[in-house]
Amino acid sequence: MAEVRAEMVANVWKVVTTEGTAVDDGDTLVILESMKMEIPVLAEAPGTVTKLAVAEGDVVQEGDLIAVIG
Amino acid sequence: MTVLEHPMTAADPAHPDAARDPRQPRERLGALFDAGTLREITPADASGAQAGSGQIDGMPAVAFASDPGVQGGAMGTLGCAAIVAAYDEAIALGAPVIGLWHSGGARLREGVESLHAVGTVFAAMTRASGVVPQISVVLGPAAGGAAYGPALTDVVILSEAGRIFVTGPDVVRSVTGEDVDSARLGGPEPHSRRSGVVHLVTATHEEALAQARRVAVLLGHQGTLVPAAARAADASGPDLAAMLPDSPRRAYDVHPLVNGLLDEPGLELHPKWAPNVVTELGRLGGRTVGVVASNPLRLGGCLDATSAEKAARFVRMCDAFGVPLVVLVDVPGYLPGVGQEWDGVVRRGAKLLHAFAEACVPRVTLVTRKAYGGAYIAMNSRALGATRVFAWPDAEVSVMGAVAAVRILHRRKLAGVPAERRHEVEAELAAEHEKESGGLARAVDLGVIDEIIEPGRTREAIATAIAEAFPSRGVHGNIPL
Repeated sequence: MAEVRAEMVANVWKVVTTEGTAVDDGDTLVILESMKMEIPVLAEAPGTVTKLAVAEGDVVQEGDLIAVIG
Repeated sequence: MTVLEHPMTAADPAHPDAARDPRQPRERLGALFDAGTLREITPADASGAQAGSGQIDGMPAVAFASDPGVQGGAMGTLGCAAIVAAYDEAIALGAPVIGLWHSGGARLREGVESLHAVGTVFAAMTRASGVVPQISVVLGPAAGGAAYGPALTDVVILSEAGRIFVTGPDVVRSVTGEDVDSARLGGPEPHSRRSGVVHLVTATHEEALAQARRVAVLLGHQGTLVPAAARAADASGPDLAAMLPDSPRRAYDVHPLVNGLLDEPGLELHPKWAPNVVTELGRLGGRTVGVVASNPLRLGGCLDATSAEKAARFVRMCDAFGVPLVVLVDVPGYLPGVGQEWDGVVRRGAKLLHAFAEACVPRVTLVTRKAYGGAYIAMNSRALGATRVFAWPDAEVSVMGAVAAVRILHRRKLAGVPAERRHEVEAELAAEHEKESGGLARAVDLGVIDEIIEPGRTREAIATAIAEAFPSRGVHGNIPL
């Protein structure tokens, strides 16, 4: 069970994955927008997205949960 | 004066298992050096540590190892004298010194005498700082004085079984009531991601020794730079420009670019701590270089308090040992926010300015995509004394991105533009702004960028700049910033 959390304040620009999707290490989960850049958030371990905590347009703070990979 | 607590595991040739205990200093030192090259500087005894010299890939090196079989490897007067003897030998030879740590800290039963002895080890390490490369391999618990020993050295490697803490779980529990296991307190996870104490974590102790050998050779036997080899790599190696995404706004992982630039993938230090800046040792054109690279994938590649400190220490280490620096810049700025200000981004960011400005080694900067604001200055800019500053043709160098700049400069005008047209007007204004402020051409005119280079000759350009520079080296220690 790995929690993926936001590293910085950002807008959720695109949600690429969905709950229940199988992901590999390095797969893009969501793309954040911050510092005028599009910053992909990647899975750090293979597994299944058991929880997706953000939607497009959300604002995440540093440390906020983005997804859980089980 | 010293007491054998575990005579079964101490050097006792009469005991059938003695020769096979892989934790014995002699066994560990033997495994570190090239086979058959270990020469003992101090004897195998009950002092708690042993020193020896030998070779690593044929290069002279010195090492010492704690003896966990005697009072848990605790450091007493004689054991500390063995470590200091290793340092004396390393300095006499000008060779790297490697510590293999597995020790509970100062010997309780020797009292203040052992504290004094541990202090002499710290003093020896500090005298050697910046003079010879110092590498620590933590193979078991390293507590108290045995934690600060590694912390004073240039590169710390932790094997999976290694633990580093000032006070162990038992003391923490009895003093603060906090219940914590040793892995959470001072194992690979906290030290690789949170504390920055450890540069490298390995799964096994064999791998830890192999990494120590690799660091020792990279720093101790740096090789000769052959620009022709770098030119050949430009022709045959991976296309570096292809490693950038099509959209200038899209973040990407810089590791393939760093490793593609080097002759072969290098050795990244602190890979999980402050990952928004990559610090990596490797070879370019056959010579050791240190690479400092913004990593846009993490925090957009922003500089922040922790990454500035990490890079500053790396820069100072490379400078002290004469390792030229290659700085790959794609930086949007310093990370803004209350957290950063309270974390001391001003104080800790200043360390990077100081480190680059004082560095004597050849240091070459390449702006791959963008260099904005204060972070532009900090990433080895011309003003800080860069040997050469290159930029790829599409790179941007400015106080901030053109679009962001016009949003400030033309705030009122843009407020009157209907939302559906705003993007278009911003783009027009940005193009105009770039023309006026000069963009890359203006940076070249000013001399803050020496040359715009095609990505296809990046390796040659960097290698030639290093080869033509005076091969100087900073005269200073490597304080663990």
